[in-house]
Amino acid sequence: MRSLSRPAITAVVATASVVVIAACGSSSSNSPSGSTGNTGTAKKGGTVTLVMGTAPDSLDPGFGYTTQAAEPDWLSYTGLVTYARASGTPGGQVIPGLCTGLPTISSGGKVYTCTLRKGLVYSNGKAVKASDFAYTAERAIKIPWGGSGQFITAQIAGATDYSKGKSSSITGITTDDSTGKITIRLNAPYGAFDNVLAFPSLGLIPTGTPLKNLPNNPPPGVGPYMITNIVPNQSFSTVRNPQWSKMNIPGIPAGNVDVNVKISSNVDSNALSVLNNTADVFDWADTIPGSLLPQIQAKASNRYVKKVMNSTYYIFLNVKAKPFSSQLAREAVVTGLNQNAMNRLGSGTLIPGCYFLPPGMVGHPTAPCPYGDPASGGDIAKAKALVKQSGMAGQAVTVWSETRSPRQQWMTYYTAFLNQIGFKATQKVIADANYFSTIGNLKLNPQTGFADWNQDFPNPIDFYLLLQGTAILPTNNENFGQVNDPHINSESNRLGQVPSTQLNSIASDWQNLDQYTAKQAYTAVFGYQTFPAFTSDRISQSYIFSPLYGWDFSSFSLK
Amino acid sequence: MTATASTGTEFSDEFASAGFGEGDQVPAGLGPWRLAWRRLRRNKTALFFGGVFILILVLCLLAPVYSHSVAHISPAAENIAGQGNNCPPTCVSVTGIPIGPTWTSSYFFGADRNGRDVAVRLLYGGRNSLEIGFVATLITMFFAIILGVLSGYFRGILDGVINRALDVIWAFPAVLLGVALGATLAVSGILFLHGTSLLVPAVVIGIVYIPYVAKPIRGQVLVLREREFIDAARQQGLSSWRIMFTEVMPNLASTIIVFVPLILANAILLEAALTYLGAGVQPPNPSWGTMISDGIAQLPAAFHDVLVPGIMLVLTVLSINIFGDGLRDALDPRAKVRIAR
Amino acid sequence: MTRFIVRRLIAMIGVMFVISLLTFLLFESIPNGDPARRLAGRLATANEIAFIRKEYGFDQPIYVQYARMMKNIFTGQVYSYYQGFNVVDEVKLGLPATLSLAIGAGIIWLFTSIVVGTLAAVKAGKNTDRLLTVLSMVGVSFPPFFLGAILIYYLGYKLNWFPLGGYVKLTSDPWQWFVHMVLPWFTLSVLFIGFYSRVLRSTILDTINEDYVRTARAKGLSENQTLRRHVLRNSLIPIITLFGLDFAQVIGGGAILTESIFNLHGIGQLAADAIGRLDITVILVVVLLTAFFVVALAAVVDILYAFLDPRIRIAV
Repeated sequence: MRSLSRPAITAVVATASVVVIAACGSSSSNSPSGSTGNTGTAKKGGTVTLVMGTAPDSLDPGFGYTTQAAEPDWLSYTGLVTYARASGTPGGQVIPGLCTGLPTISSGGKVYTCTLRKGLVYSNGKAVKASDFAYTAERAIKIPWGGSGQFITAQIAGATDYSKGKSSSITGITTDDSTGKITIRLNAPYGAFDNVLAFPSLGLIPTGTPLKNLPNNPPPGVGPYMITNIVPNQSFSTVRNPQWSKMNIPGIPAGNVDVNVKISSNVDSNALSVLNNTADVFDWADTIPGSLLPQIQAKASNRYVKKVMNSTYYIFLNVKAKPFSSQLAREAVVTGLNQNAMNRLGSGTLIPGCYFLPPGMVGHPTAPCPYGDPASGGDIAKAKALVKQSGMAGQAVTVWSETRSPRQQWMTYYTAFLNQIGFKATQKVIADANYFSTIGNLKLNPQTGFADWNQDFPNPIDFYLLLQGTAILPTNNENFGQVNDPHINSESNRLGQVPSTQLNSIASDWQNLDQYTAKQAYTAVFGYQTFPAFTSDRISQSYIFSPLYGWDFSSFSLK
Repeated sequence: MTATASTGTEFSDEFASAGFGEGDQVPAGLGPWRLAWRRLRRNKTALFFGGVFILILVLCLLAPVYSHSVAHISPAAENIAGQGNNCPPTCVSVTGIPIGPTWTSSYFFGADRNGRDVAVRLLYGGRNSLEIGFVATLITMFFAIILGVLSGYFRGILDGVINRALDVIWAFPAVLLGVALGATLAVSGILFLHGTSLLVPAVVIGIVYIPYVAKPIRGQVLVLREREFIDAARQQGLSSWRIMFTEVMPNLASTIIVFVPLILANAILLEAALTYLGAGVQPPNPSWGTMISDGIAQLPAAFHDVLVPGIMLVLTVLSINIFGDGLRDALDPRAKVRIAR
Repeated sequence: MTRFIVRRLIAMIGVMFVISLLTFLLFESIPNGDPARRLAGRLATANEIAFIRKEYGFDQPIYVQYARMMKNIFTGQVYSYYQGFNVVDEVKLGLPATLSLAIGAGIIWLFTSIVVGTLAAVKAGKNTDRLLTVLSMVGVSFPPFFLGAILIYYLGYKLNWFPLGGYVKLTSDPWQWFVHMVLPWFTLSVLFIGFYSRVLRSTILDTINEDYVRTARAKGLSENQTLRRHVLRNSLIPIITLFGLDFAQVIGGGAILTESIFNLHGIGQLAADAIGRLDITVILVVVLLTAFFVVALAAVVDILYAFLDPRIRIAV
């Protein structure tokens, strides 16, 4: 996902508590009981102000790919399936959306079928047709949406031909407007396809919507909310969709309040205004400045919580180039790196860890870390010895880094650390906009540097995509360390085909694989980001914080 | 004389250049120079600030000595999570806030967010800022003199071409040049330039100020070339090149000298501005600009990280400006080359 | 004279053309800056990148791309690569903040510098003059983002007298608009006051020694009258010229530092943000806008001067 910080799972608790909705295709009326939110008694009405530090890339679901876009979009553009309205791990559960039930999977995982509910209408009152789904997918390819290549074109049969202009529609999608039946054929079994269908980008929009990004006036959708009054880079409103309550879709309640979003890049001032109750909600994707934390903890501890989401910050180590082609050299980095220091540079928002899969993800290992407790502050002496032993001492290393804070500071610290343990490291800073396309250029063969990943959906395959040999690409490479390990390749391929709904049955397999990755020291994980959930006194604290999209606007209510 | 030699952006500066030195050229020779020196000596304020500048220069040059013998810490050494013993009990708090001034030999001005000694980095950063300032000034003066003299002396088509080229530089936003060059050179680099090299901002700044100096010089040469002694030289059959070097150039000496502190002061300011916008000195190199923008990024915590390098920057630029002003008064009391913003 | 004006205008268009070309080429030449790869984002497939390249026309020869971009700009159909907004709309949205900054600060800096400059000239050589000289030197030595940071820290965070930045529309709340603009006005003005007052001081001192001023004095006009009627009126010409150029510059988004530190979301900040994202369409539009103001005003000034002094027609 795009790195403006992204959706993730809230999970202080790990994997065990996932509730599996077993029924496939049954018209599920069992709305998942949210772990915190309860909209039954909430006060209706009113408007809340959310302050956002970074503007969304586009509120058009056919283009928007950043967290700031997904946050309002997931409530305004419901797909065939969507996520349970719940905080924590339960919120990562896929539930039926516009379809009457979860898609039935047949032909060995290659065909997904479901039927649209009756009486669905868009926010403009127009009726929803099954063929609109095909149009939505085609539009996402045409614009194109940032995830379309990976999740639509590569997965759905015939989508590649469509994107190349060889066919006028995606042959893998067949729809029947009279019955509402939608059939999707895949190129190969893809376990996370349920999650793909839940992307706001595949939230239905009317056939005939222009095939281009409409950032000023996004198309009508089906959902509890609709987006209006967009002033570019300044503000937009998410208001309750009057059509929604008529449809009465189980598990997806209508909202209580309208949400006005104000965009201001001065995050300090945003945090202060929530603290002083002049704004109501602080956008979770922004970071509360360390200097304000003491004040917030003193005055507003009852309305400030740190949320863990599924994102991993790590240092990639290029296994194809000296010095990190040596496992001992990689172990030295993992052993010696002081995660406490990294955490301070990140204003205390990191949770230490050594595993590539973050704590909220199914498959996050529970075993102790192979190279020392990450919270202990690193063993420099041992790291020095390992470097000496590896024979790579004195090797020149270029550390690649982004410009933005604290990522740059992290890499400045890391550079000094590498020098301390016996390498000759220099830092190279690349403009943020260019960073990932620069280090993703295989010709450059970057040795080491900053990397991060935020989940697209709660399935470990979304992370292991970055460590598969097949992911090594000449440009836009995301396997920065060029890891090509047969064991990882075959295991992640096998596990990736298991449908998301059966994820728990293979949790231990993922755990074993992730422990293997940590043992090989393919990446130097330095923490999992926590995100602030910070509201004004006006907001009831019974809100839902989605593990994927953060704030669930429909759970907001005024006290 | 055109009035175009004005305005840049708010950080590139203005030099009102109307009527420089018309009528009263200072002929090359000992007399006028000695006179100027006498005038300068009487200007105590200018001398005082000249002294301040020298002091800052010396301090910055002594950075390694300070780092090694006083602070006992290198400019890149980081003490974040309490591994350092110089910084009791810790240099950076758990939420990432660095300590303020200790007023003792180590961490005299406190730490930055990476737990580095601000005082040490201030001096090293000053070296970089001043180096960029001097190199940029050299580049500006070199090209401005060549272009100004050529276009003023030959006039005609060459003059037109040079003038339009200067217009382009002058209307072209400096920041863009900085960003584009920085981004271009960061990965590959061309010739002697590399992304992290201090020469990148120096070259950018050097180019930016060329029109501000070249235009007034051209104006002065336009006047000079009509004067009797040039005519006489021409009549003696001297080549144009010879006349430019031996007759025209010496008469530009006072203008050039007056421009040097002006450009220097503004180059240092522009370095900080470019860096603030992400187009100047690339981290981890310290410069006053990078230090100020790092500090601003973590407002309102650790205000010393903004204040210390900021005051040093202002003090340096101020002393160059006041000394430069005195120099101008001394060299040519009626000259109208003026101090920039 | 007509020939001169025509020549000057042609030169102006030429300069604008070169600037647009240079900007375009500079950003085209950034390695790894291939916009298709940047737009495709992380995890993009080769197929997707190729698709974007075709869709946006990045596969065309560079001169075609340039021509297309220019055509789009002049027809107002230019969209930012990053967000897809119409850039002309974005510029229009930034205009109120930028105009508020320019007009308010312009009034402050023009009047203050006239007062300070005149006072310094009248008291030339005295202590008042020395003090004002040093003060204006301090003014010209302050980088605006440093001054802005100091003001925000002490008057915003510490004393809570002013907001920490941001812009409030004049039409939505005039008082809040004013409160939000005070610090930016001050920050931007300080730069110009220092410079203008120095220029004015020496122009006045020069004018005082001119013959017609001596004549006026000899006619028995009081010092005050002479100053007001003859000296000041003539000395203001260069100041007004400078003011025109600088004012145009600020409106064209030139106050990028002041706008950024105070988060005004004006045209300058639009440019700064676009630079951070390497969003070439936005950058090009703002660069051309700024350059247009600068070059056009310079041309106007040159033409006006040429009217006043025929010798210049040859020189330019």
